[in-house]
Amino acid sequence: MSALTAEVIGQRTRAAFPQVQPLATENGRPFLQVAPGDLQQVLRFLCSERDLRFDTLMDLTGYDLLKYPMVPPSDAIVVVYLLWSHVHRHKTTVKVLAPRADCRVPTASSIWPAALYFEREVWDLLGVHFEGHPSQKRIMSPDDWTGHPLRKDYLYPVDYHGVPHLRDGQHFEHVPARPGIPAVAPAPKKSTP
Amino acid sequence: MTIEATTPSGERMTLNMGPHHPATHGVLRIVVETDGEVVETCTPDHGYLHRSIEKIGECVEWPLFVPYTDRVDYVCAMNANLAYCIAAEQLLNTSPTTAVTVPQRAECIRVLVAELNRISSHLIAVGAMAMDVGAYTPFLHGIAQREHVNDIFERLCGQRLTYNYVTIGGVAFDLYENAAEQITAFLDAFEPEMVRFNKLITTNTIFRDRCAGVAVVSRDEAIAWGLVGPNLRGSGVDFDLRRDEPYGIYGKLGVRVPVGQAFAGRHGVVGDCYDRYLVRLLEIQESVRLCREVLKILPPPAAKAADPVGGWQADVTKVIKRPPKGEVHCRTEAPRGEMGYFLVSDGTKVPWRVRVRTGSFSAAGIFHKVMRGAFLADVVAIIGSFDVVVPEIDR
Amino acid sequence: MTPASQQATSGAGLGHAVDALAAWLSGTPEPGWFATLVAILVVWIAPMLAVVFPIAALGQIAERKIAAAIQRRHGPNSVGLEGPLRLLFRALLFFLPRAAQDKALARFCALPVVRPVLHMARRLGLGQLVADGVKMLGKEDIVPAGADGLVFRLAPYLALIGSFLPFCVVPFSHHVVMLETPVGALFAIAAAGITVMALKMAGWGSGNKWSLLGGMRAVAQLVSYEIPVGLAVAGVVLWSGTLDLHAIAGQQYHPGFFSLLGWNALQSPFLLLLGAILFFAGLAECQRTPFDMAEAESELVSGFNTEYSGLRWGMFAMAEYTEMLLIGALVATLFLGGYQSPIGEEWIMALPVVLETLVHGAILVAKMLATFLFMMWIRWTLPRLRVDQVMRLCWLQLVPLCLLALFGIALTMLAAGGTTPGVAYGRLPARPRPDLGVLGHLVAWGVPLLLGVLIVRAARRKHGQMHPALRQLTGGGA
Repeated sequence: MSALTAEVIGQRTRAAFPQVQPLATENGRPFLQVAPGDLQQVLRFLCSERDLRFDTLMDLTGYDLLKYPMVPPSDAIVVVYLLWSHVHRHKTTVKVLAPRADCRVPTASSIWPAALYFEREVWDLLGVHFEGHPSQKRIMSPDDWTGHPLRKDYLYPVDYHGVPHLRDGQHFEHVPARPGIPAVAPAPKKSTP
Repeated sequence: MTIEATTPSGERMTLNMGPHHPATHGVLRIVVETDGEVVETCTPDHGYLHRSIEKIGECVEWPLFVPYTDRVDYVCAMNANLAYCIAAEQLLNTSPTTAVTVPQRAECIRVLVAELNRISSHLIAVGAMAMDVGAYTPFLHGIAQREHVNDIFERLCGQRLTYNYVTIGGVAFDLYENAAEQITAFLDAFEPEMVRFNKLITTNTIFRDRCAGVAVVSRDEAIAWGLVGPNLRGSGVDFDLRRDEPYGIYGKLGVRVPVGQAFAGRHGVVGDCYDRYLVRLLEIQESVRLCREVLKILPPPAAKAADPVGGWQADVTKVIKRPPKGEVHCRTEAPRGEMGYFLVSDGTKVPWRVRVRTGSFSAAGIFHKVMRGAFLADVVAIIGSFDVVVPEIDR
Repeated sequence: MTPASQQATSGAGLGHAVDALAAWLSGTPEPGWFATLVAILVVWIAPMLAVVFPIAALGQIAERKIAAAIQRRHGPNSVGLEGPLRLLFRALLFFLPRAAQDKALARFCALPVVRPVLHMARRLGLGQLVADGVKMLGKEDIVPAGADGLVFRLAPYLALIGSFLPFCVVPFSHHVVMLETPVGALFAIAAAGITVMALKMAGWGSGNKWSLLGGMRAVAQLVSYEIPVGLAVAGVVLWSGTLDLHAIAGQQYHPGFFSLLGWNALQSPFLLLLGAILFFAGLAECQRTPFDMAEAESELVSGFNTEYSGLRWGMFAMAEYTEMLLIGALVATLFLGGYQSPIGEEWIMALPVVLETLVHGAILVAKMLATFLFMMWIRWTLPRLRVDQVMRLCWLQLVPLCLLALFGIALTMLAAGGTTPGVAYGRLPARPRPDLGVLGHLVAWGVPLLLGVLIVRAARRKHGQMHPALRQLTGGGA
């Protein structure tokens, strides 16, 4: 029942899986970077290893790296696993970079059932497909929504099923403050299917 | 959302509950397959209150996101404000050039309003659960008490529901002149009211028999399914962020944490609806005690000359325009469980990513498991015992 | 001392009134069937409706005001009666221009007699009652497409019939019983069973899964709770030896100041138990909380009356309030002395017929209202039982208790040493009642009470103590 520091957790994990890289963010927050192929094994190890025992997910989320100021620039989607251990009272962070072109990551729902809903939300809002998820459906958006809203190149649709989102003369005011990304999708052509 | 019935048996009825409810649970839609008496499958349908708050977080400046946090959970808006502000302050504190120190008076005021809001939020929770079970009166008695808390907050910040009061670096306004007296008077009148409330509904045999042994979530299930807050503690897990990962002045106050122990007696099981309900009531008691403690240790307001902004706010207007680049994860104990903010910053005045993890989201995630095999009449009682509010699920 | 005896004809004084009115209507001393029918309507049915109908109509506003009082709020207190008054003035003063009509109305409402009355009506919510009534009547008459038309339309009327019909045999005073029959109690229970048919028809006829479910569940509950109701009535019948409600009420006569000592509920603890069981089983028959699971199913739909709107729904609501009044009337008649006053009965019997009818009727109505208000109090205090708990309560708890009580009553009657001639009450003959004597009364009350105390203590020990956290929350302890 002893809490381990982030370095020790990183060392233990790297000892079991050498391809895991313990890194830290620019403001000093440590995390473990894992490739999508190894993800399930690493997570299972973190959950079941006696001294680690990460028995719950604090959060399973993601963010888009498109046009994030970093060197080298990346357009992958980061999936973040924030793990907590009730037994040992320590935490860790695992990150997976899912390439934009092939946005697939194995599911963690067989390890923590809490991931079921979290992964549905990441699929809905960021477009990361979790392989092996029993019911990978959109959760917030309607089932027939197109696009993944939290992506940085998401285009706000002008209408939904023919119902316009803006009235005449209105325009989107709060567009993202990043230059070079269009905010609004062009209006679809008025053609009856 | 399409529902797939696994067997084409003609005896199954597919019933749609919501999104319009006579109960107070907001726009939650649950599709239930039942044989008339027992629920066989239960599929929630979310998104009716999705307001893309996380996307808005990528469009507005750091301090201007605070009103949106009110709407993440408008029943306990102070706690929601507080969660975001503490996370933003932690982000600023990762670099010595942008570190911010919240004045002591502001820390005390933050805890004071958070605990008052916890009281009013739990009153809604237990009242709504009682109302779902058929007792309409306790809910209104709870609302009457909540109105007193709203009166205090109205004098404090002008709002009765969405306060926009806790800011990055402190609180927006100082306490008004006789705030301590008004709060003390409220607490003194509130405690005998809660005793009456409990005599009316908590020890009522009918209520206990409706809730005991229903929707049992075991300890391991609660942890694996990511339940937090009173839902987790009702299942017997002794974990409260205010005591175990203290923030603000909670470390000084020493929070006592109630844990589910099969309170219902002979028919009770640890982790049933009655346990979760009672944990909330005990938390109300604890919050009353915490408010009194905070009022005792509240430092006097700083003289204007000494602190130009006032003793209730640190000036973050410059540093918040250039926060450190990186990320932070910070969680606080909201009434519905841990509210975890994962903030990613790219060094500009607008966040790169604001992620809110709420307790109701995980509770909604366990619905389909917990309601299988339950009576149809218990479905609303179960939803009430998990205290889900839809703005937290959908954000 | 026997009260002044009356003629031994049915509905003594008022029977004459019926005959006289029928003769006057038809113009001959031998009235035809139509004149007799009209006379019966006017003399018997209209007054009964005039008593029951307004109470049931006011029941809605009473419910809301009582709920508000219990929930510490005001209830409807804003809607005034100026609207209907304005309508009345427009109709009466149709020859005047509109401005003049309004001025007349204003002058009328400002009168020192009228203003406080209007203010009181506003505060009591009577204006709300009128407004809701008008709204309800003005709703669109919707019959769902999939509904069975005749069954759907017929159900509300049957519900009303089922709740109003048993009032025929309830004695409102010594002279006023609409239907003088030796099987009154049986008739009352049987006629109340029509409501079961009505609910079944409502559930089926709506053509809606939810309504069908609610209807079936309501029928199951009603049919189950007919057993305790019937057994409770049977206990009184056993004690009194007659099914005639008028006779049962009359036998509870006790001379002297404390005439409530003659009430059935105080004759034996088993009768008191049966009275309580009749009240609670009657609560279940009315489908009031805590037994309203059929109509408040998960607060989503209204069960069997989901598809009913407007006046049809109003009829169901009226039937529910009337049935509450009926249970009150039955409990009063069978256990609480009926129309007799608790403090001195002889002076009322000595009054002239009309006054005696009024006083006795008022006493019975007061008892009905007390039960009515008690039912409302219970509704706003207790939560709702689940369907399996309702059934378990009926079959595993109420029915054995009823049987136990019947056994006890039989034992009491067997053990009664001698008999005293019962007091002749008006036109009803004297009837021997079991005489227990002082020792007999002590034993008859003491033994069951002792048994009850022992049973409750054993149950408490078995059920376990309250959790200390609960004790702390209710202010009793550390």
